[in-house]
Amino acid sequence: MIVTGKSLSRRTVLKGIGTTLALPFLDAMVPAFARAADAPVRMAWFYVPNGIDMRHWTPVDEGSLKTLTGILAPLDPIKDEILILSNLTTHWGRPLQDGPGDHGRALGSYMTGAQVYKTAGADLKLGISADQIAADVIGKGTRLPSLEVGLEEARQAGNCDSGYSCAYTYNLSWRTETQPLPPISDPRALFERLFGADADEPAAARLRRLSMRRSILDEVLGSTNRLQATLGGSDRRKMDEYLTSVREIEQQVARAASEGIIIEPGIEKPFGIPVEFPDYFRLMTDMMVLAFKTDVTRISTMIVGREGSVRSYPEVGINDGHHPLTHHQGNMEMLAKVRQINELHAKLFAEFLVKMKNTPEGDSNLLDRSMICYGSGLSDGNGHTHDQLPTVLAGRGAGFISPGRHIVYQRETPVTNLFVTMLQRVGVNPDHIGDSTGRLPGISLS
Amino acid sequence: MRASAAGIPLAVLLTALVATPIGHAQQAPAPATFNHDVRPILDEVCSRCHNEKKANAGLNLGAFMDPTTIATKRDAWELIVDKLKAGDMPPADEEPLSAQERGAMVSALESAFARDDRDLKPDPGHVPAHRLTRVEYANTVRDLLGVDFRATDEFPPDDTGYGFDNIGDVLTVSPALMQRYLSAAEKIAARAVGGGPLPSPGVFTRRSRVRKIADGMIELKDILEYDAEYSIRVGVAGHRGPDDPPVTMAISVDGTPVKTVSVPVQLNAVNKQGGATQRGVYEARVFLPGNEHAFRAAFVDDETLKSIPAKSRGDVNQNVFPEFIDVAGPFKPAEPHVVKKKALVCDPATGSVCAHRILATLARRAYRRPVTAADLALLNRVYAKAATNGYKPAQSVQFAIAAILVSPNFLFRVEKDPPAGAVARVSDVELASRLSYFLWSSMPDEELLRLAEANRLHVPAVLEAQVTRMLADAKAGALAENFAAQWLGTRTLDGVTRDQTKFPEWNADLREAMKTETRLFFQAVLHDNRPISDFIDGSYTFLNGRLARLYGIGGVDGPDFRRVELTTDERSGVFTQASVLTVSSYPTRTSVVLRGKYLLETVLNAPPPPPPGDVPPLDEKDIGVAVSHRAQLEAHRTNPICASCHNKMDPLGFGLENYDAVGRWRTKDGTIPIDATGTFPGGKTFSTPAELKVLLRSRMPQFTRSLAERMLTYALGRGVEPYDRLVVKELVARTAAGEYRIQALVQAIVASVPFEERRGERKPGPQEAKGQ
Repeated sequence: MIVTGKSLSRRTVLKGIGTTLALPFLDAMVPAFARAADAPVRMAWFYVPNGIDMRHWTPVDEGSLKTLTGILAPLDPIKDEILILSNLTTHWGRPLQDGPGDHGRALGSYMTGAQVYKTAGADLKLGISADQIAADVIGKGTRLPSLEVGLEEARQAGNCDSGYSCAYTYNLSWRTETQPLPPISDPRALFERLFGADADEPAAARLRRLSMRRSILDEVLGSTNRLQATLGGSDRRKMDEYLTSVREIEQQVARAASEGIIIEPGIEKPFGIPVEFPDYFRLMTDMMVLAFKTDVTRISTMIVGREGSVRSYPEVGINDGHHPLTHHQGNMEMLAKVRQINELHAKLFAEFLVKMKNTPEGDSNLLDRSMICYGSGLSDGNGHTHDQLPTVLAGRGAGFISPGRHIVYQRETPVTNLFVTMLQRVGVNPDHIGDSTGRLPGISLS
Repeated sequence: MRASAAGIPLAVLLTALVATPIGHAQQAPAPATFNHDVRPILDEVCSRCHNEKKANAGLNLGAFMDPTTIATKRDAWELIVDKLKAGDMPPADEEPLSAQERGAMVSALESAFARDDRDLKPDPGHVPAHRLTRVEYANTVRDLLGVDFRATDEFPPDDTGYGFDNIGDVLTVSPALMQRYLSAAEKIAARAVGGGPLPSPGVFTRRSRVRKIADGMIELKDILEYDAEYSIRVGVAGHRGPDDPPVTMAISVDGTPVKTVSVPVQLNAVNKQGGATQRGVYEARVFLPGNEHAFRAAFVDDETLKSIPAKSRGDVNQNVFPEFIDVAGPFKPAEPHVVKKKALVCDPATGSVCAHRILATLARRAYRRPVTAADLALLNRVYAKAATNGYKPAQSVQFAIAAILVSPNFLFRVEKDPPAGAVARVSDVELASRLSYFLWSSMPDEELLRLAEANRLHVPAVLEAQVTRMLADAKAGALAENFAAQWLGTRTLDGVTRDQTKFPEWNADLREAMKTETRLFFQAVLHDNRPISDFIDGSYTFLNGRLARLYGIGGVDGPDFRRVELTTDERSGVFTQASVLTVSSYPTRTSVVLRGKYLLETVLNAPPPPPPGDVPPLDEKDIGVAVSHRAQLEAHRTNPICASCHNKMDPLGFGLENYDAVGRWRTKDGTIPIDATGTFPGGKTFSTPAELKVLLRSRMPQFTRSLAERMLTYALGRGVEPYDRLVVKELVARTAAGEYRIQALVQAIVASVPFEERRGERKPGPQEAKGQ
């Protein structure tokens, strides 16, 4: 089903979009990246929670991928487009001097390579995440510097893990050491983030309003700057967050106004969260594909589940919460259920990759022009280990990656080395990302 | 940093507290007393279990042998004194202390505390500019503009810290949120002014939101954004016997009938061969002001229904029933309607003088302080710019209102900061906001703002009277909605699932009913100013038909909640309410451990440390069949590492085993009879939930402290820190002096130093504070 008009009720769209949406071709609206040399490279990170049963993940052999089995079986049809990277580590996920709270640290340290400052609230401190280091440099070229998406709506009351604020377990992307970028988990909110809250209104009225929006933001910026001068310390920090956010929105508005272009999404605004997890995953990742295709952004993160997620998956017959199941202590039944969840995630990720591949761009396709990392900051969820992590790197980065292989690295290689390598491909050359120690060799054979 | 507030295990506290921010480390009891009355007991009695090798409860007393640690590890020492005074330590199965030994040790330590505290100056702490939570935002918009706004649909959830979502440090602004603020501001402003234009109409299907209230009655609550005509469309489905008479259906909005129709009862007859159900759709068109409305469709005097068995009433082949409500619109009204707008103190069409008046009036209330010339100049510029761009006066006002709603003065509670390190009272207008966001999760009302502008609010008698007035206001329900639901963890019910095969009755209506019961109970305690012991054993509650059925209580039917006096031992207080019993269970079964932990944290103010990474499992499939939950856990506790904490948690949790994972009373788990006996800290035993409550009731000081710390955290929007020790003590004392009545606690919090004062920013960065 191709969703085209507004004749469809929202209910129909909601039901239909998740399962059967074929992304509409919007070439007329999209800057033409016909030649590979012009093509922007997209990057995405998928985070899956509570570790993976690694015995059913890691391929036996190094080198060229043979038939993928176990948890990775759903990726077999697309194995020529992926690398399996073994033995990467998130050092700062470990307890070190900070005691319990492995889930609290695993997600926070994953993309920052930084120590998660242990606090239940006061003085949050982490590091800048890889996607945000990239967004700071290449994000200026697109409507949104980056996009943060997640699939877990309900927030936990209370502490999230042993004295770590929930800010650490819910937020993968950190713009500064102190400012997390919360993921969008509501489909309508994601749609509106990409295309504007008024995307269903006539373009003329929208353009007219843009100039008013700009004046309002300009005025607010000016008055906040004056307010800033009277504040100190943490108040200033809060106002800084506010100001940078206002500025970013102001720039988006300014660009839209000056270009006079409004990107038509080509799909109707979704409403509500699909009841079934697979539909939810598909709906949100469809919009990620759309965001890449329309070049609204080139950088995205996706939290498939927050660390410590207790989601149950009745769709595949699992009524227990994910996190309690991962503390299986070798119980075969529980292990089998954990694997089922791991496999479901892998299957949905594979579907996303196929959609990317089936989205042509010039003489190529979106997947070829992307680098998509899929992984977790925990390997064994039962024993809370933060090394030998599960990592998939999908796509070719526009000729950079030579996929179809399993690479085994030296133990303790920081996962942030992979992110440094990805960032270098897009022309961002950070000295380091948190605890990274250099490039990750072997990704490219050319 | 108290263990309960921060959820930080004792083991961590012991190391973290070394860098105590208050300079009292020099103070110590005379070594003679310590060496005579304290140290020998630590050495010979306590250290048998709390040593380096066998650090029961994560406590190794090896690090406590020096009197200077009384200052540096004060929280741990307080806990030790609590345990000694309560008789919890040494445990019953160890060699007891004589009353004289116990008394001398307690008194030596308490006098050391008193010496340390003698010249301790309370530190009010510092909360950075406080972004409104999404709930506060919605309430403020409601009170400011009279616009209903469903923030949970429009804004992402706020991150939490210290167990609450209103912690200033954790509330951040991201570009994604800013974008939502901007679009919300435009929409809200349009609704506040009603300056149009109407968008093209569409059908709003909210079928997932339609709730069945009773057989033959459904309801949809939804927010309409415009003052306009709407078409309410009710779908009716099903089939009754050929001789059954048609049924009368009333469609109503907010309790007022708008249309009555006669519905034939063989709706799918024509179509039956194909098995498809044909729906009848009935429509009522009405003018509605933009706001939240309740749409209801109900069969009236439906005699036939009584002859249809309850289990067949949802079957389209045996019954006919209203199935869904859609709303279509907005349509241009056939005749003009005037909707009174709270924001419009005059008619903007009369020109810019009125517009300026509207904006000045609003800005003062929206910014919750007197407006400045600069504030007004800014808004007037936005208004003028819109007018220049060709917008009509009402629409131009809309843009200026949108500017108010994205201003930091609206989105944040910004307080004037004293110079670094200095302490000062907050101003009266700042105090008004602190008060209203604490008690109402919303902006100050006119009375509060006027008192504040006249600098009279801080006068103790005035302040106390205002608190009393505010608690009597319906808006104080926000404390139940936001404080209690987070304190008791019932807010997490939203994300709770239950195994449908084991709990077929579990659904959204039951979940809502559970939340409502606890909310109404908290509101009653607050409104009637009851003692906080009612949370433990108050013998009344609030039920509707669905929940009463779950509880096995007769005589309560229908969707509406009513107060019910509890006459049996099965239920009383919040800890035997279905909401609490459900959030402390797993999707497939109860958890003695989670429930024990819940009681330790919530009532006894003694949270256990988190489990080690390598926890042995429960073989769940056998529970209730071959082995009892109890036998499983007892096996687990033969492992001394597990036992050190589970000896405290599990016995309490057993006391609630008579309630299943959705809170229903039971006497058997599967085939195995429930054994609800357990041991209370200190060794007393109980054999029923009622007996457990009697023992919990004996720990009012701990419970009061626990509640006081939680409520202080919520009231301040920051974690409770070591320097708040005296404040918390004072709160407990004043609550006790006020017969443990809940309003005494609220009044004490409002009158406390941290609530009324503010420390200028002193900035030891996280690195420094951590001693790195």
